[in-house]
Amino acid sequence: MSLAGAPRFPASVVVMTNRFGLPDLGIGLGLRTAHYAHIVESEPSVDWFEILSDNYMQTSGRPLDYLDAVARRYPIVMHGVSLSIGSTDALDRRYLSELRALRDRTGARWVSDHLCWTGVAGKNTHDLLPMPYTEEALAHVAERVRSVQDYLGAPIALENPSTYVEFKGASMREWEFLARLAEEADCAILLDVNNIYVSAFNHGFDPRAYLAAIPFDRVVQLHVAGHTHHGTHIIDSHIGPVIDDVWKLLGDAYRRAGGVSVLLEWDAEIPPFEEAHAEALRARQFMEAST
Amino acid sequence: MNPGAQVPERNAVAEPVAERERASATPVARETHGLRPPTAPAPRTDGPAARSDALERETRRAGALPMDKERTSPTLRSRQAWFANAVMSLSNELEPTAEEVESILTAGPSLSARDRLGVYRRAYVARLVECLADDYPSLQTTLGEDRFEILCRAYVAHHPSTSPSLNAYGRLMGEFCRDRMGPDLASELSGAGISAGFLADLAALEWAIVEVIHARSVDPLTPSGLADVPVERWADARLEMTPAFRLLRFAYPVNTYLQALREGKALRVPGAAPAAAAVVRSGTTVWRMDLSEPMCDLLQALASGETLGVSLERAALAFGDVAEDVAVKRVMAWFREWVSSGVFSRVMFD
Repeated sequence: MSLAGAPRFPASVVVMTNRFGLPDLGIGLGLRTAHYAHIVESEPSVDWFEILSDNYMQTSGRPLDYLDAVARRYPIVMHGVSLSIGSTDALDRRYLSELRALRDRTGARWVSDHLCWTGVAGKNTHDLLPMPYTEEALAHVAERVRSVQDYLGAPIALENPSTYVEFKGASMREWEFLARLAEEADCAILLDVNNIYVSAFNHGFDPRAYLAAIPFDRVVQLHVAGHTHHGTHIIDSHIGPVIDDVWKLLGDAYRRAGGVSVLLEWDAEIPPFEEAHAEALRARQFMEAST
Repeated sequence: MNPGAQVPERNAVAEPVAERERASATPVARETHGLRPPTAPAPRTDGPAARSDALERETRRAGALPMDKERTSPTLRSRQAWFANAVMSLSNELEPTAEEVESILTAGPSLSARDRLGVYRRAYVARLVECLADDYPSLQTTLGEDRFEILCRAYVAHHPSTSPSLNAYGRLMGEFCRDRMGPDLASELSGAGISAGFLADLAALEWAIVEVIHARSVDPLTPSGLADVPVERWADARLEMTPAFRLLRFAYPVNTYLQALREGKALRVPGAAPAAAAVVRSGTTVWRMDLSEPMCDLLQALASGETLGVSLERAALAFGDVAEDVAVKRVMAWFREWVSSGVFSRVMFD
């Protein structure tokens, strides 16, 4: 499968190591409303921006005006939170239609969401809820991923979420589920190393075992973020800065992928743009150390 | 509202609001020490979401996740129905027992299965309260954090989200404040001198701001565009309002109150007094403006598609014995402000 529509921007570093031929865009930053004015007025030097797709859906107004201005200047990648790919409700065709229209509007290089479900029976929790890692769930999600990819005419990337609980009766661990899903649905992976760290602490597994199980030829992007440690558990709060252990995981994943787009998410207590961007660029030292 | 009252020539105020951020992060709930979600007021039993009805039915139909006869584990559907119901049931009385949770979820290295579920229960409420706080910052300031959270939790219990987007989640807050707040909260607020009607008006004003942010952006009619209309055709002209325009009539002067809050002036909640305001977005700027009754009538007539001639005649009646040249000057000043705030998108003729 190839991405629909030709990219509108040259990639800053055109290295293609994944099987989908998606470019290594360099180090990007999540586009946040607090930074709109600065980005549009100052046009800072940033490799690329990731947008929260849902912020630009079910709106016709100002968010799209800002997005258009940013997309004219920077490569864009779309990251969503409401696809609910794991739900047993029917796929939301209206949502998919809006998603595709937004992809076409921004010229986004790829579209991602999470390996999770957000609601059922018509109700939406707006949270990234954990899947039971069973054969039934695997077959269900794989079929839906194929359906979404057919609709979009492009591979989607699914991200491992941070989770705080696991279902009893699982027949495999999350990393096996993700790896098998990627193979069976022929989809890409957005690997969030902070989520691996958070879930590893919350469930008591070794994050290196997770990395070792991932088919890195399917990884098209890495996420990194800060989190909030509560002693008994860690919350994936996306409050930066990023701790060194998570940066080291990023370096390890980057090495295994052979070079891949990296993005910092900072979603609460958001600092001025330059501070957030400087934190994202800290990735360099761990990426270089891994090569 | 004082008929014919003169509102200052430039009373439109730019609204410093940013779009709500929707993120994949888990919100850190206000209660960071205990793991139990705080007790919510019991959801009303007459509301559409008394207990997430559809989920409740599915869970009940499945029992406490019984095994299918040919299966050795619960179905994905029944697990999801149970989990969603456990997360979305706000009151502690409806929280599943530890035994029930342990039959479905695993314990972690440091937390029980029930405490792990509690992380999702807290995040569910915190995320939606955060969303409502983004939409209703002045309602929050007026009520204070604790009362605002009580109000929001009652709203969440009554109106679970049924959309993949949170952009319109808070749209029913005005109506909720007026009609569905519940006697306990209404009585407590009334004791603090805050009426449900005032909150409903304030919510309506804040929601208008959200609506114009998301309304379609169009190029506004410019002063030169208006000046291009030949004088002899003015009477037959109709003005199209920008999609990002809202006209509001209130029982309380909430726009004046909101402006005082924005300016950091300590202000008592005002008593009832008819008022009107317009909210409009032009480009990236959202404007709020107080309206006198004739201004409001004139804008309403124009918005309903009346010609300028008919609309201005009606406005003239409201001026009573004001001298014609004074009235004309005032109306021209209004139009200057409205045009410069982007209220109109174009001039149309039949």
